[in-house]
Amino acid sequence: MHFIRGWRRSAAAITAIRSLSVKRFLCSIGSEDDTIFAVSSGQGRCGVAVVRVSGPASAHAVRSLTRGFPAARVASLRSITHPQTRELLDRGLVLWFPGPGSFTGEDSAEFHIHGGPAVISGVLQALGSLPGLRPAEAGEFTRRAFGAGKLDLTEVEGLGDLIHAETEAQRRQALRQMAGDLGRIYQDWRVRLKRCLAHVEAFIDFSEDELIEDGILNDVDTAVRQLQTDMENHLSDQRRGERLRSGVQVVIAGSTNAGKSSLLNMLTQRPAAIVSATAGTTRDVVEVPLDIGGYPVLLSDTAGLRDTTDSVEQEGVRRARQRVEQADLSLVVVDLTQVPSEPQLVPVFLSEHLKNILEHSSHRQQCILILNKSDLSSAEHNRSIQASLERSDDVPAACFLSCHTRDGLEDLLTLLQNRLKTLCGDPLIGSPSLTQTRHRTLLQKSVEALHQYHQYRDVDLVLAAEGLRLGLSSLGRITGRVGPEEILDTIFKEFCIGK
Amino acid sequence: MLVRRLRFPKTLSTCSIQASDIHTQHYDVIVVGGGHAGTEAVAAASRVGAKTLLITQKIQTIGALSCNPSLGGVGKGHLVKEIDALDGVMGRAGDWAGVHFSILNRSKGPAVWGPRTQLDRQRYKDFIQSELLSTPRVTILEGSVQDLLFTTADPEKPGRHKVYGIRLAHGGGEIHSRSVVLTTGTFLSGALFIGQNTSPGGRMADPPSCAGLSHTLKEVLGLKVGRLRTGTPPRIIKDTIDFSLTLIRLPDPSPTPFSFMNTHTHCKPEEQLPCYLTYTTPGVERVVKESSHHNSHIQQDTKGPRYCPSIESKVLRFPGRQHQVWLEPEGLTSDLMYPQGLSMTMPPEKQLCLIREIPGLQRAKICTPGYGVQYDFVCPTQLFPWLQVKSTQGLFLAGQINGTTGYEEAAAQGLWAGVNAGRTSLSKPPVSLSRTQSYIGVLIDDLIGRGVTEPYRMFTSRAEFRTALRPDNADLRLTLRGFEELGCVSEQRYNEALRVQVSLNDALSALKSIHLSASRWKDKLGDVNISETKSSILNGVEVLQYKDVSLQMLASAFPELAGLYLEFSERLKVEAIYRPHCEKQRKEIERMQAEESLYLPEDIDYLTLPVSLSQEVREILDSVRPSTLGAAARLSGITPAAIVHLFNYVHRNKHRNHS
Repeated sequence: MHFIRGWRRSAAAITAIRSLSVKRFLCSIGSEDDTIFAVSSGQGRCGVAVVRVSGPASAHAVRSLTRGFPAARVASLRSITHPQTRELLDRGLVLWFPGPGSFTGEDSAEFHIHGGPAVISGVLQALGSLPGLRPAEAGEFTRRAFGAGKLDLTEVEGLGDLIHAETEAQRRQALRQMAGDLGRIYQDWRVRLKRCLAHVEAFIDFSEDELIEDGILNDVDTAVRQLQTDMENHLSDQRRGERLRSGVQVVIAGSTNAGKSSLLNMLTQRPAAIVSATAGTTRDVVEVPLDIGGYPVLLSDTAGLRDTTDSVEQEGVRRARQRVEQADLSLVVVDLTQVPSEPQLVPVFLSEHLKNILEHSSHRQQCILILNKSDLSSAEHNRSIQASLERSDDVPAACFLSCHTRDGLEDLLTLLQNRLKTLCGDPLIGSPSLTQTRHRTLLQKSVEALHQYHQYRDVDLVLAAEGLRLGLSSLGRITGRVGPEEILDTIFKEFCIGK
Repeated sequence: MLVRRLRFPKTLSTCSIQASDIHTQHYDVIVVGGGHAGTEAVAAASRVGAKTLLITQKIQTIGALSCNPSLGGVGKGHLVKEIDALDGVMGRAGDWAGVHFSILNRSKGPAVWGPRTQLDRQRYKDFIQSELLSTPRVTILEGSVQDLLFTTADPEKPGRHKVYGIRLAHGGGEIHSRSVVLTTGTFLSGALFIGQNTSPGGRMADPPSCAGLSHTLKEVLGLKVGRLRTGTPPRIIKDTIDFSLTLIRLPDPSPTPFSFMNTHTHCKPEEQLPCYLTYTTPGVERVVKESSHHNSHIQQDTKGPRYCPSIESKVLRFPGRQHQVWLEPEGLTSDLMYPQGLSMTMPPEKQLCLIREIPGLQRAKICTPGYGVQYDFVCPTQLFPWLQVKSTQGLFLAGQINGTTGYEEAAAQGLWAGVNAGRTSLSKPPVSLSRTQSYIGVLIDDLIGRGVTEPYRMFTSRAEFRTALRPDNADLRLTLRGFEELGCVSEQRYNEALRVQVSLNDALSALKSIHLSASRWKDKLGDVNISETKSSILNGVEVLQYKDVSLQMLASAFPELAGLYLEFSERLKVEAIYRPHCEKQRKEIERMQAEESLYLPEDIDYLTLPVSLSQEVREILDSVRPSTLGAAARLSGITPAAIVHLFNYVHRNKHRNHS
């Protein structure tokens, strides 16, 4: 049996060799042995998303994410689970297209899943965790299909935009348009890494004849290390993808009887938590998963923070504090009627109050202040507070709300949605889950390559430089290629090279 | 052991041939110019079997080193090794004429070791001249070429024109040939500059090439021509230098020859000459600034190189810095020294003021002043990868005429143009070299693919696959193909390369067959730094990758296996270090080769091609006319979609033509 299977494969290999030069050419990024995946349904939110997989490891991907291998070319309903964590990601349709009778001519599969960003991101990350699988480059499915003779010219025309998306100029433009901070960060890394490589190249090509001191390599060592740290921090810090999958942790915190549970009930549109006029009603953490403007949120209501002798309430307060520690975003509820009416005292009062509830300054940066019970406070009082808040820089974003009359709810939701957008990255711009997974893979590759620099630094400078070259080319897949001419330009700008 | 005996050079006094004898003769290849490109072209064309004529203005300057008395270095040394691997002349000439051998970059990894030597000018010239004289099928003629001769182009091949020979100046008549290689160096519309004086010339005391040639290239063939400049330093009388104020630099105690066929150099280790290092001072900067209004070369905007600039431009671009000046011997018996780093074009009296600001040169005297040269070059994007002019059948260009600088760059192109001119004249198909296989391939691909904006010099940073393109393995990369496919390599050299290849492969297999745990290796090899954290088994090649492990150590532990290959101990060590990395790059190399092998038809009309291309893309393709799809893909402004369309078009047409 094994023998026969092996023989079949080698027959297929012979057919493959015939079109090898064609395929190799078309597969200009990565190798054709890789198995690629991407969301191939359109961009933006949709009911159903199609994730397509193509390449030799497609069958393995189907086996790893589902149970019961589907029949060829028949839609089968399956549970889709993460291969490592066994976490259930979604239930959807799975289709198996054995090569060569598939779109790309290779073994391929499709997962038809629910279109929410969390689900899509979860499935993409699950696929990315499998060996031999990587996110597809723009237009790569089309190129593979074209290489296998599956497309004629008119079809390619229709898909031309996809291929277009990959030119250097557009890549750089895409970089410029990338959410401000991210674009700046990548650009900064590119410049720094380019300079490191230029210095090593200068040392290799010119140090024997010119005045290029040995010290230059020590500077490169430091610069590369700093880059690695920055990139690694970025990779581990930015939980955006994870947040999309498991939800943004939003916690409601505040003093007792400020109206936290009322806020939870209003947001969830059901009485999820018990509300009473008695201070200390909520003892444990109440968790509700929510979808706010398309973003998955895990909203928790916590016990009011106060010193207490009640041992059950003490435990509730401890849990509340712990939850605040872990939260991505805090909604701090303040009873407006407790706020002093003298304008100069307002900022001080609120700052002190915030410090009491959010002990770490980092948490105070990720919080929204909710001034509740606006219906119980006089309009004049509210106006004067608002005016003093506008003059103060220390107090975070705040909004007035009445959980009773629902006044101010719209403003709160807008504010909340904007925060969530920043925390998750905006999944509606471009095709983010794809872009971000792709970026992550490339950045990881780049970091690994920088390790190679240190590994060989004292053994063989050429192999060390090769690490920097590799790192820069991986980064260049995001930011635009850096060719030898650009490296030489950098060298000649900084060094006087001349016999 | 195959060692080519270093022949004692004969003189060239008898080789001049009367022009009248030549009229009646027909040659396969005519090479115009006897510099580094020309001499390699002549030798290569004759090696592939072509009857070849070299025409030079002065027989006595064949093989002359017009500028620095040195050969090789980082990148350039790689080229010399490759020229030698293809059986060229330069490497062996260097081994004969070298007087100070050293391997640069010893501490930086064998892939970038730079074999280099100082040369005895006279010995170098003698060797080249005697080599050409003893090469079969070669005739040498002293004379000037006035013009090229054209006939109707072969409609079966690309090109609007076809060359069939040359016309000599001064009524020397016509000489016919199937191919012509132009290697005019700095002589094409050459002009010399010193101070504010300008005079026509290609080198001090030598006139430029005939104006007719330049006119024909521009006006008749319509080639795009540009202008570049270079320069050379003054030569200093050795006895007037106080070497005690400089730093001495000694050569390697045991000289390493360039040629794969030589085991030793002509110069004995103890006969080698030293070099000396000194530095510029603020006084130098002052003289440059004072004299800049007397310096017309510097004031013009003709493109000079950024990496071999005159002392004037160094001081003006990087003021306030100290610059190195190397004092290099011009030969064993020469009474001159060559101050590398002091190329200059200021008036001679200012040159003297300048050098006297430098430690060691305070009392120095100048024998001949430095000067600048400006010359025409043909934009190399108009060439095929086999260095033939695209519009003209049979016409090949090599060397500075293609916008390069340096002896090694010139010789590499000369060799390649010679091979192809020879093959074309013998009705064999032209051949090209991949940039994945050689620095010569990188050089030519850069030239024809990107063109030049300043004189082009080779650096190792230009090569994508630097770990594979090493000086030590140039023979394995090129010699085998050179014999089997190109016909430019002698059987003797081929057999030697085969022997090396077989031995290296056997040795690596033998080493791979030894499997031991890290701790067992330590027992066997003694105190070596192998990390024992790896529980896995290591084979002999993996152990050889470790810094302190040598083949000698393995040979004493396993004499029956490794002891046979001690002759190749250094090469095996290098192979062990780089092989895993080269394997990783293999796929990328194959991809690039596939791209390079997809030729675009020469007669393709991009402006009306019936495929979907934007006007911008059409214009770029039309102006550059890339030879391969790979070259097209590297052009800026060409979209991947355009490449897919082009590929589709070419691919379908190829099928149509076949059926």
